[in-house]
Amino acid sequence: MRLVKFLHKWLSIVVALQLLIWLSSGLFFNLMDHSKARGNANKVSMSQTVEIDHARLLPPNTILSQLEFIGDKQTKPRQINSLKLIQLLNQPYYLLNHKRGLYAHFYSEHSLINAYNGEKQIIDDAMAQALAQATYNGNGDVVSVVKKLPPLDDMLKEENTAWQINFNDSINTSVYIDASSGRLIGHSNDDKRFADFFFKLHFMDYGVMGNIGSFNNGLIIFFSLLTLLFCLTGAVWVVELLRKGRYKR
Amino acid sequence: MFWQRKSRLYHKWLMLFVGLQCVIWSITGAYMVVLNIDYIHGDSLVKQPILNLSSTNVNYGLHQLYGEYPKAEEIELTLLMDRAVYRFSENKQRFLLSADTGKLLSPISEDYAVAIAKQLYQKAEVTINHVSLISENPPFELSRRHLPVWRIDFDDFASPSFYISSRTGKLVTKRHTFWRVFDWMFSFHVMDYVEEDASNKLLLIFSILALMASLFGVVLTYFKIFSNRKKNKSKPKAKPKSHSIVNSQSVGSNNVKGKEHNAIS
Repeated sequence: MRLVKFLHKWLSIVVALQLLIWLSSGLFFNLMDHSKARGNANKVSMSQTVEIDHARLLPPNTILSQLEFIGDKQTKPRQINSLKLIQLLNQPYYLLNHKRGLYAHFYSEHSLINAYNGEKQIIDDAMAQALAQATYNGNGDVVSVVKKLPPLDDMLKEENTAWQINFNDSINTSVYIDASSGRLIGHSNDDKRFADFFFKLHFMDYGVMGNIGSFNNGLIIFFSLLTLLFCLTGAVWVVELLRKGRYKR
Repeated sequence: MFWQRKSRLYHKWLMLFVGLQCVIWSITGAYMVVLNIDYIHGDSLVKQPILNLSSTNVNYGLHQLYGEYPKAEEIELTLLMDRAVYRFSENKQRFLLSADTGKLLSPISEDYAVAIAKQLYQKAEVTINHVSLISENPPFELSRRHLPVWRIDFDDFASPSFYISSRTGKLVTKRHTFWRVFDWMFSFHVMDYVEEDASNKLLLIFSILALMASLFGVVLTYFKIFSNRKKNKSKPKAKPKSHSIVNSQSVGSNNVKGKEHNAIS
């Protein structure tokens, strides 16, 4: 019992600050506005108003055999996992997947081919901006368009290079577009960033002893094990007090 | 001394009520941070086959597909079990079609689902424990939007299950014991045992009480470790100073405090 009390007292110094951070950030998650924290205040789904003209579509085989001939100039043709007919800004494209992550946010490689004329489409800043605006219904204007390599501060799990399109609305919305596929990664804004700050605190996600964007870092593992010992010694102490009848008043 | 006594009292009583939850928070929290989340998600169970789609695989063209399914949307051409297939949806229904012959493959048979699951499984040789088709009432771990699915249970470490959509032949989700336990841990962490929703009243009450109890704990730590130690150290130093009249009063009051503390502990 002396050891239990000794551990509880001294561990309290080590874990006190983080324990208070855990409890108060936990309380914040309980009370926060979950819809605001998602960062989708100004998000709408990309709607397509023009129907695909089936007759004008190049057959997928044409695209595939074209690529088989060209390939990369020096090396063999790139591997193609799949070919998908998609629509971006009312224009049909074949989205070729060359490297597929298990999930959309995992690292992957794509190329985009115009489905009517077979030309390769690169997503430049103008196209990225147009794509972002198609998902945005706020009242801000685009102030900047920046290409960003992962990790993205607003989208910590994303592993793909992205266009960041920034709007000057009251909550500073940023829209992220996958630079190789045109996929909407997501929206972020000051409300989401505020909630993300508490997640960073709760997960001790400072990039110490582990990658940023993960709650499996060495720092939190160390503190969680100490806290576990701290709570267990506290529980033993409570049981001891109960046993000794010290809870009578 | 007032604060020390009060803090001890409140810390003791509050922890009688929230102490168990604090233990639960620290156990569930430690479980969630110690086990890597990608492992929990069963990512290491899946082996992605190397696919190489080429024009020789495709003998049934897109225009033929539109001829039979004029409202087809979200058309994807890919390989499944080394054969070219189309996946698409029409009127919210999903379809799987051979891109070689145009033959309709969905809904897929049990044998086909098992073959897909085996090809995607990390180990080449694995025994299947149980196969079932789930068309309604999905288990907690499976989202309704994936239905209908084949559930394939492997006879392997941590009882992995693959869920293969019977409409698309895709691996829609996977589970193993450590993920199932993780879900369970999370619901105990946020104190919602049904929907895993962190904004419930029970959690609110417990976290406020636990925060209060911890703040009293901090006060206790301050008195127990820092404050008392300082006094113990300052005592011998204070003795020679007691000759001066000006200091004797403060030393005296310090001693009284010290005695009081001893009486309590």
